[in-house]
Amino acid sequence: MDPMTFSIIRHRLFRIVDEAVITLKHVSGSAITNEGHDLMVSLYRADGTLLMGGVGFLHHLTSAAEACKAIIRRFAGDIHEGDVFLLNDPYTAALHTSDIYLVAPIHHDGRLVAWSACFVHVTDIGAMNPGGFAPQAVDIFTEGFSSPGIRLVHKGEMRQDVLDTILNMVRSPEMVSLDLRSMIACNNVARDRMQALMAKYGAEAVDTACARLIEQSETLLRARLRELPDGQWQSRQYLDVNGTTARVVLTMTKQDDRLVFDFTGSDPQSPFSINCTKWASLGGLFAPLFPLLCYDITWNEGVIRPIEMIAPEGTIVNCTRPAPVSVATVGAIQSVNNAACTTIGKMLAASDKYREEATAVWHANHFAIFKFGRNQKGGYSIGILTETFAGAGGARSFADGVEIGGEIPNPISRMANVETVEGAFPIRYLFRRRAPDSGGPGMYRGGTGGEMALVAHKAPDGGIDYVISGKGARHPMSEGLAGGWPGAPNSYVWVKAPERGNTPAAAAGLDDIPGTAERVSWGVFPLKGHDALYVRWNGGGGFGDPIARDPDRVAADVAAGLVSADSARAIYGVALADGAVDAAATAALRAGIRQDRLAGGMVQ
Amino acid sequence: MTDTATRGRLLSPAIRLAGGDCACAACGHVLGPAADPWKHHAVRRETPLATAGGHGWDTGDDAVLLRQFFCPGCAALLDTETAMQGDPPLIDRLAGA
Amino acid sequence: MMQNGEASYLVATDVGGTCTDTIVFGSDGAIHIGKALSTPPDFETGVLNSIASAAGPMGMTLESLLARTHLFIHGTTVVDNAVLTRDGARTGLLTTAGFEDTLHVTRGAYGRWSGLTEERIKHPVKTDRAPALTPRDAVAGIPERVDCDGDVVLPLDEAAVERAVRFLTAEKGVEAIAVSFLWSFLNPDHERRVRDIIARVAPGAYVTLSSDIAPVPGEYERTSTAVINAYAGRITRSYLTSLQSQLAGKGYGGATMVMQGYGGLLPADEAADRAVGLIECGPAAGVIGARFLGDLMGDRDVIAADMGGTTFKVGVIQNGQLEYAREPMVDRFHYVAPKIEVVSIGSGGGSIVTVDPRTGLPMVGPRSAGARPGPICYGQGGEEPTLTDVMLMIGYMDPGQFLGGSITLDREKAERIFRETVAEPLGLPVEQAAIGIYRIASAQITDLIREITVERGLDPRDFVLHSFGGTCGMLAAAFGEELSVKRVVIPYTASVNCAFGLVSADIAHEYAVTLTLPADTPAERINALFAPLEEQARAQLAAEGVTGDRVRMEWSVDLRYSRQVHEVTTAVSAPTPLDGAGVARLVDDFEALYERKYGKGSAYREAGIEMTMFRLTARGLMPRPALPEEAEGAADATPALIGRRRIFDATGGAMAEGTIYDFTRLAPGMEVTGPAVIHTPITTIALHSGHHARMDRWRNIVVQYHA
Repeated sequence: MDPMTFSIIRHRLFRIVDEAVITLKHVSGSAITNEGHDLMVSLYRADGTLLMGGVGFLHHLTSAAEACKAIIRRFAGDIHEGDVFLLNDPYTAALHTSDIYLVAPIHHDGRLVAWSACFVHVTDIGAMNPGGFAPQAVDIFTEGFSSPGIRLVHKGEMRQDVLDTILNMVRSPEMVSLDLRSMIACNNVARDRMQALMAKYGAEAVDTACARLIEQSETLLRARLRELPDGQWQSRQYLDVNGTTARVVLTMTKQDDRLVFDFTGSDPQSPFSINCTKWASLGGLFAPLFPLLCYDITWNEGVIRPIEMIAPEGTIVNCTRPAPVSVATVGAIQSVNNAACTTIGKMLAASDKYREEATAVWHANHFAIFKFGRNQKGGYSIGILTETFAGAGGARSFADGVEIGGEIPNPISRMANVETVEGAFPIRYLFRRRAPDSGGPGMYRGGTGGEMALVAHKAPDGGIDYVISGKGARHPMSEGLAGGWPGAPNSYVWVKAPERGNTPAAAAGLDDIPGTAERVSWGVFPLKGHDALYVRWNGGGGFGDPIARDPDRVAADVAAGLVSADSARAIYGVALADGAVDAAATAALRAGIRQDRLAGGMVQ
Repeated sequence: MTDTATRGRLLSPAIRLAGGDCACAACGHVLGPAADPWKHHAVRRETPLATAGGHGWDTGDDAVLLRQFFCPGCAALLDTETAMQGDPPLIDRLAGA
Repeated sequence: MMQNGEASYLVATDVGGTCTDTIVFGSDGAIHIGKALSTPPDFETGVLNSIASAAGPMGMTLESLLARTHLFIHGTTVVDNAVLTRDGARTGLLTTAGFEDTLHVTRGAYGRWSGLTEERIKHPVKTDRAPALTPRDAVAGIPERVDCDGDVVLPLDEAAVERAVRFLTAEKGVEAIAVSFLWSFLNPDHERRVRDIIARVAPGAYVTLSSDIAPVPGEYERTSTAVINAYAGRITRSYLTSLQSQLAGKGYGGATMVMQGYGGLLPADEAADRAVGLIECGPAAGVIGARFLGDLMGDRDVIAADMGGTTFKVGVIQNGQLEYAREPMVDRFHYVAPKIEVVSIGSGGGSIVTVDPRTGLPMVGPRSAGARPGPICYGQGGEEPTLTDVMLMIGYMDPGQFLGGSITLDREKAERIFRETVAEPLGLPVEQAAIGIYRIASAQITDLIREITVERGLDPRDFVLHSFGGTCGMLAAAFGEELSVKRVVIPYTASVNCAFGLVSADIAHEYAVTLTLPADTPAERINALFAPLEEQARAQLAAEGVTGDRVRMEWSVDLRYSRQVHEVTTAVSAPTPLDGAGVARLVDDFEALYERKYGKGSAYREAGIEMTMFRLTARGLMPRPALPEEAEGAADATPALIGRRRIFDATGGAMAEGTIYDFTRLAPGMEVTGPAVIHTPITTIALHSGHHARMDRWRNIVVQYHA
């Protein structure tokens, strides 16, 4: 194939995925899809291998490939043009039940030539808690509807009985119906465009281009791996849930042009729904791998080939049925994201050529808080607090992390305006801002996370309830690099108002809200009366030794309220006088810190 | 001559491998033979993370530790982990070391 | 030449990135064109030079032309330039205490990835926000709070305001202050009291209230808008004042109207206080011009594509309606103001052509040689092959006739470097490699336009394509065919398209009320919202001298399905004030529009429909200058035939002998069939086999694909 035609087909494949994403967002119209960009659309080859991954939640790219393969196995010989299959069973391929895959074959001249697959986080899936994340679930059977593969559309005709059965099992059937329709429309666009591409260039030419695109990605990634040092790097994540702690332990070995991710040593599966299945772990390690190692390589099967995963069965990263997994995407999967980000970052930082690509962990810990209840207009609403998508950037070898700058596994997310939330739910914010001292200290500082406090406001039922799948309040999860500290952990606090108190009109911070503070993290809680909910989310990890940080940068951080004066002294060894660096006092502080380090520690 | 040949290989920006040894990249202090985990030869300090400093670090749990490794020569911070008491240090190594 | 003695003139001047264009309409029916280099940051000089360059060929001086000018219309990049070069005022921000970080946090990662290409988005480690226009330490939180109904939860702390203003002006040296409080668009009382306090405490400060400049929900975008406006406010006001006084100094005694990003005109004095309104008003004018021409030619659905040296811009006109940008940005800053959507990407004649050493694949862009050093063949120091060099190699440019022969193109050097850096690495002869690059460029534009139309729920096959800019003509017939557009038009006024757009616009004022009401709200309630807006608008237009049948009141309403995020601005098509049937028709129109835009099955009626914003556009109709028309004569274009040479014929997929025509010798009615090229003073129109071009009665070149 000539390089021109190949380039043209390649460009068009990218655009096909883009157009399908646009369609998905248009038709869905939901906040989590449009604001959180909690979605994914990708193209797959006839055998279900990844052809072209789009920008979305990246841990889905490989799982959806497995979904295609599972459908091929289940329906072999019975797959028709115009069919659409639904799959959301985590033990077959999905990440958790509320991330539904719709998988559709693409035919050309009557022959199956490719697949398109997409997902959105549906509004509800009928799990025991509203919204999809079910902290109270005890097994997969309490996590709502799940299917290892079912035909939703037959030769272009919706199977109404199947659709009605699914909608009969969920809390917000109209919204779920719309979510499903958006995914069908998305697959239709991908199919039409692929068929047009094949009509113009011929199915064979397109297939040849696809094969070559995959080979090219494999060649490029293997070449990059050969440029990186051979070695072994470790990382460890702690997930604290309801007083228990589970470990995800990763050893990444790089040899020549291959990478092995070995999770041996990770803890046994948890009784709580933070577990994930092996397909989810595989997706979890690829989510950071695509943007960190393949930022200039097409994301497809070729990138997957040099990678191997070892995940012992029965552990938190490869749980066995019927362990609950509904919180997986913000549980074990996110820890796999983080652990892989750390080991890849360590490997990159050990290379002169690639050091600038290394990053400490970004926003390592989603806090999935779903508000639900009667709103000020009298209707019933379910919705996620989109601040969880706001994130925080990890520090890099050349720069600080981006304050409240997002996350690696979902490159284009954002949070809603305060006014949007207050207009849709009967709640009011007391503050929402960057959280001081939350960015991991280092020569380059991790980006700060944020903090906010909410109270009920003009609520017909005196308030609302929320489902919280919070972890990471005991353990910081955004690991640093090269000595950099982790970002500060999350915090979830229920401030119970004093008797005969009033709802505060404003507050300068958590300590300024009257009442008694009680930590919450897991389950369903009220936000009612004059009480408040305080949430702080983690900052990014730091890079390098904090006392090697340019003192002027520390002074600027203090002026901007990103670092407290106490931390400037104690962690960074920077003394300020009227906001400016006191050079002599700083030198003395740093010398003192060095002395303390050697005096207080021990050589093993 | 390349950078690598003159300066040895880097295991991380803080640790250099040269002449069969691990050394602090800042001061050159030797941290044992390259085949040994260098952390065994560094100064290790563990403090409850809850007291590590600054608003936001109060986890309400003293069992979670900030574990730091310093160069015995120049006191540079070489690596930082979070750990539970008794969990082994994370070991990174380059092949052929 | 026509005697200019009795004529009076309408002069329109648009400042662009490189050139400042002028178009002059005489009451005698003649059109004159002027061009001069833009002169940032003192744009006034370029404006006067451009008008003078039009006056010269008319046999007039700048002064004599201006003395007989009855109206001057202007489009300016002064605001875009102030933001891009960070040349605005030191700006402070007063905002609700507890929310001081809203501007700098940019709704999370949104401000980090917005405005980046997909390639850069996929490489997050190398992305950062642009530093905000106001530093964080010049943001002061004020104790106050209003809720979602506009009720006051916490009264304004006036003493804190006074302290903050003194702090910002004395300690931080700010010259401009933006004020943006939560929910101020529902209850602007606190912001207005702050303005009074600033007037007392710091009377010299330039002030922008978010509730004035952007009275819409969404505090991040509203705050950002207020900050941009405050930042560029004084520069805008001083520029427009200076321009008017310089024009007056050259003898101009009439009014100056200024183009807005939403495609309407405002008197200069009003425009001076709405800096954000001026952002990208030039490209908006270009789309307005395309609409005017489309209307004239009977085409209501137009894709306007403009490709010059550095950027490719696309605007879409559907059924005579313009699309507004959903999330407008200037540089990398979000703002909220009605603005015509013009999608812009960094791709043009200056895009550098390379072969990726890792993959061996040819690439067009994303790097650009820009205007300097430019393409190799221009001989201005360019050492890397560009798309323009490729055009030369496939016969679309005449080395001796470029820009009327003012530059001789260096084909030999372009070919030598192209051979070394592109053709040989590809293992292809120069000509084959160049053909391949042309195909890639054409296909990529096809993909881009398709994506833009899909985003709006449109099908390119229903559209006519207008081609503007020096590079577009060489590609338009090719990508237009692949998109299956009805036909391609290269307008006679293409070289001064944005200036032409200025004279096709009306005075327009936009007003809005934000309020959420159910779709079954009685008509009287809706009419009561519009009545005070109309009253305000009539008074405004009357002050500008517009009354009677020149006044048009256009109502529109933003509607959405409850619990969905997409709001659709729906024009009120029924007579106003509304009656019950009119409201019902509005809701029907919304539903049809929603499905068209977002696809079949996207409507979610079960949840109910809400109206969220009520908009009034008050128009003062401006007289449209008539374009000169000539009867179409014989089809034979032989009088304009100036030669033959080998050119690339995309239909045949190979080089072929093509006929070469001189645009200036073509007459209305003449027809040209591809493979051929038509050289115009600013571009080349490349026609492939099966393409039929005709000069119409306005001297536009119209390309059709079927005889």
